[in-house]
Amino acid sequence: MADPNLLPACAKPLSFREADERKGISVILAFLSLFFLFLSPAQAAEAQLRTILAKLADAKGFPAVEAVVRELGATGDPAVSGPLEALSAGDLYFAKADKSIAILRDGAILDPLSGAKTREGATSAFTKIRVNNGLRGAIRDVLGSLTLSAPDPAVRLSAVATIFNRPDPEAIPALDAVLAKETDATVKARMEEARAAAVLASDLPEDQKRAAIETLGARGDRAALTLLSNYAQSAQGSLRDAAASAADRIRTVLAGWDVAQNVWFGLSLGSVLLLAAIGLAITFGVMGVINMAHGEMVMLGAYTTFAVQEAIRASAPGLFDWSLAIALPAAFLVAGAVGFAMERGIIRFLYGRPLETLLATWGVSLILQQAVRVIFGPNNREVGNPTWMSGSFEIGQMAITWNRLWIVLFAGAVFLGLLYVMKRTPWGLQMRAVTQNRRMAASMGIRTPWVDAFTFALGSGIAGIAGVALSQIGNVSPNLGQSYIIDSFMVVVFGGVGNLWGTLVGALSLGVLNKFLEPYAGAVLGKIIVLVLIILFIQKRPRGLFALKGRAVEA
Amino acid sequence: MITQRVFGAGFTPRVQLALALILLGGVLVPLSNLLLAPSNPLHVPSYALALFGKYLCYALLALSLDLVWGYVGILSLGHGAFFALGGYAMGMYLMRQIGARGVYANPELPDFMVFLNWSELPWFWLGFDRFWFACLMVLLVPGLLAFVFGWFAFRSRVTGVYLSIITQAMTYALLLAFFRNDMGFGGNNGLTDFKDILGFPVQAAGTRGALFAASALALAVGVAVCAAIVGSQYGKLMIAVRDAESRTRFLGWRPENVKLFAFTVSAVMAGIAGALYVPQVGIINPGEFAPANSIEVVVWTAVGGRGTIVGPIIGALLVNSAKSWFTGALPDFWLFALGGLFVFVTLFMPKGILGLWDQWQNRTMRKKPADDPIEPSTAPLPQPAE
Amino acid sequence: MTTKAGTILYLNGVSVSFDGFRAINDLSLVLDKGEMRAIIGPNGAGKTTMMDIITGKTRPDKGEVFFDGNIDLTRHDEPGIANLGIGRKFQKPTVFESHTVEDNIRLSLKGERSVFAALFAKNSVADDRRITEILETVRLDGRRDALAANLSHGQKQWLEIGMLLAQDPKLLLVDEPVAGMTDAETAETARLLKDIAREHSVIVVEHDMHFVRELDVKVTCLHEGSVLAEGPLDHVAADQRVVEVYLGR
Repeated sequence: MADPNLLPACAKPLSFREADERKGISVILAFLSLFFLFLSPAQAAEAQLRTILAKLADAKGFPAVEAVVRELGATGDPAVSGPLEALSAGDLYFAKADKSIAILRDGAILDPLSGAKTREGATSAFTKIRVNNGLRGAIRDVLGSLTLSAPDPAVRLSAVATIFNRPDPEAIPALDAVLAKETDATVKARMEEARAAAVLASDLPEDQKRAAIETLGARGDRAALTLLSNYAQSAQGSLRDAAASAADRIRTVLAGWDVAQNVWFGLSLGSVLLLAAIGLAITFGVMGVINMAHGEMVMLGAYTTFAVQEAIRASAPGLFDWSLAIALPAAFLVAGAVGFAMERGIIRFLYGRPLETLLATWGVSLILQQAVRVIFGPNNREVGNPTWMSGSFEIGQMAITWNRLWIVLFAGAVFLGLLYVMKRTPWGLQMRAVTQNRRMAASMGIRTPWVDAFTFALGSGIAGIAGVALSQIGNVSPNLGQSYIIDSFMVVVFGGVGNLWGTLVGALSLGVLNKFLEPYAGAVLGKIIVLVLIILFIQKRPRGLFALKGRAVEA
Repeated sequence: MITQRVFGAGFTPRVQLALALILLGGVLVPLSNLLLAPSNPLHVPSYALALFGKYLCYALLALSLDLVWGYVGILSLGHGAFFALGGYAMGMYLMRQIGARGVYANPELPDFMVFLNWSELPWFWLGFDRFWFACLMVLLVPGLLAFVFGWFAFRSRVTGVYLSIITQAMTYALLLAFFRNDMGFGGNNGLTDFKDILGFPVQAAGTRGALFAASALALAVGVAVCAAIVGSQYGKLMIAVRDAESRTRFLGWRPENVKLFAFTVSAVMAGIAGALYVPQVGIINPGEFAPANSIEVVVWTAVGGRGTIVGPIIGALLVNSAKSWFTGALPDFWLFALGGLFVFVTLFMPKGILGLWDQWQNRTMRKKPADDPIEPSTAPLPQPAE
Repeated sequence: MTTKAGTILYLNGVSVSFDGFRAINDLSLVLDKGEMRAIIGPNGAGKTTMMDIITGKTRPDKGEVFFDGNIDLTRHDEPGIANLGIGRKFQKPTVFESHTVEDNIRLSLKGERSVFAALFAKNSVADDRRITEILETVRLDGRRDALAANLSHGQKQWLEIGMLLAQDPKLLLVDEPVAGMTDAETAETARLLKDIAREHSVIVVEHDMHFVRELDVKVTCLHEGSVLAEGPLDHVAADQRVVEVYLGR
């Protein structure tokens, strides 16, 4: 029979037959395959699967079952995933009478391959094929290598990752097969690395292993390091040296990435500090007002975000991804209005009496906290992340989460925006004029009381939009502000009062310092050390990093 | 006025009256609790005794703050730290007195150390089984911390709000440190479950009465010491430093030393207050280091009238009584009331209750100005960024 | 330059700058023992900064500052310099407002300056007599028990000068003593300073030319941080550069 379909159909079983022979599968199979040659390809494949499946009924003991499982996997046919998953879940049975295999699920008897309901009958007529964890592992492996040839590259990647994580010499042929066909460069590289991992675990000759060590060394991540250093411990001679030196190279590279990661964490913390402190840089740094309720402005911003999200959930769930964009102006207005009211109602009577201002604003902070506690309840509130703020991506060996990245960018934007307002707008000019020489500014026709009020409102409003950002990375509770206030003051004082750039440098350097201390000292002790260092620093330079010098500041 | 000449200028009639009242109360209140029948209208119930004993410790703490804030102009936002350190020193003694009566019945180690699988007492716990040693530490630890902190801060001329902020950072750092289990001070839970002090059970009525009397005595001594200091030429120097620091410097005084002395004495007083507080409330935990606590002390002092010695005592008693009443009757409103108090006092009665009283007296009697004037607000205009 | 010996104050090549702004630029100035000198100069000429350098408030970037012949002032801080014998009156009168006039003087009296000395200090008859003497000198003997806060502006200036006298310094630096005074007070102050100058060396910084004329002493005109002219007032006032500086070009 010269069936044109014959050739490809036959090619596939043949290639697997080589594997079969290596495993020492019975000769009968060969005859059966010959028989299947006369069927249509699909039918042939299915018949072959059923034949192998049937062996499960006779397999005695877990090793025998595992052999069958591997044989099923060796067919490379995706159809085996159904019965294998059922087996893993303990749903695969065989009939006591005719030893036919079936899946029993929810009282129904299903065909193992098609999953269709085959017949009616009592489930008591079936015997369960027992599984243990070892067998489940084998099933996972088999299913893993099966998906190696899935059409979706993502599926292939995850399959190859499974192999990489539990290297098995038996996967080498399968890998070789898919490697030849693989077109996606990334997937191909991962496959080669998985193969290298498997080679290291095999008893292949030395030169192959040497190549494998090189491949793994080039991969250069933590998993490769583990593989190589484990291998270096068990191997002998020059191979051990090669593995050890490859592991060392990876360690060096990883140390570099660790530094980079720490810098990133530090920048991320620093930008959080910057957001919390930058409003304070205006109220304290520019106006000289100690606003102990600054943290509560941040808290108000965070609660505004919560309220906006609640409103959106209730009325327009589709807008949820826009919730932060809506919350930003809302938070600015809410916190700014509260700040405006504070300045007009309290602070303006206390100019020139900084200690009294400190106490009065502390009182306001208690009132604001308690008000929020009464309105929203004392517990943490959940503020959702929009989709574009969730998840993470990787650069080299660094993981970067989207919310942190956005906050760093946002902090930078707020900083630049504020700098622009202060240096380039008429309002900023008036602000600086009033703070430098109030009487002169007043006689130039600037309405100083209004400049004061709006400057304070601006500082508070910025604290409010900081609250929007901070609601994305931490708990939103009435105590939110308290956790930021001391840090914020530290940043402003450290950076140098009255200097926005000082605040920027102060925030970022404190953030990075904190994150570099953490691995050695732990988070809490690291924070304590930073606090003590700042206390010492202030005593060395009472006016901070970027201090103004000269007669004006002494007055 | 003869007594004033004998004891010094600080012992104004008002201070003498306060001293007499404190000492009298220190004797009569415990006696009425112990000797009078509960049915007697003059009987002080035990809960009230415990409450007022606590207030006396708060009053001493407020007085200690007054010495530095009212007279030298150092607004410490970290005085709670000295109070807590004194309290911890006493708490450590009380922990050692538990002995084998703890849950784990370890004769040497306090329960929390057994729980953390520690095998021996850390070095800094040695000696705390002796009362005299613990008392020494009550004085030394806060005093030394204040001395070292003040040495650096005053020498580098950290003043005003900067100083306030770093004192706050100091107590915050201590708060974080004492929360850590491996610091060896009981971590989150602190020190508690005390059994006895000097061999007497801490819960017994007699012990409570004695602790009350001791607190009153300590407060009286504190008042006397402050009055003596304030009445001396050094007291005048303190006020001079508060009002015009650089002037004192150009006169050849070293304001940093003036401040350091007052700060250290004040810290020791706060430590004593904490040490008397702990056996009466039965617990000391890191929460005492919370910056909010220290700021609350400031409002007691401000309400009573700073720079008056007697005012802070009145403030501490009044504000804490109000707190007890509010937390019982209107728990949700206490923080509103406290916050409002902060705002009200700074805006409308910057000299506190005693200041108002003096003003009223001056107006009715047309006397010369009060004997302890408060710092005049010399700078009516907003300062540019300092 | 003359030698340091015999001088009470000797400044040589002193410069200091704040953030690039040169407040004092290669300033040299010599004051003989017992001399009174008036310093004039427009705003920003460096008069106050010069005082800051002498009293230790500001460290010079370079240059020599010697007191009483060979005491290097750059090695001392403010209280140290005050105790060496240099008294300073600020531009804005700075007295202890919560204290009585008497206590203000008492805190300034020459003596041991330690905390413990102050704690156990007793008022002595000698001190009381000295205070009376000083109060008479500065025309405040009638207001001994008044609070300093309740003094008039001119009286505060005098009280501050009295505090300087109580220190018994060798050199007095007096910054704008007659700012805000009535003409009568100004004349009185000129007489007061001339009295003081009999026993002390004095540097007076002043804008008021009538007052400077009444002092009738050698005048130094500062401009942009260095000496522009020096000599009798008429000589300095006639200097073309001084006129230009004051009137503008």
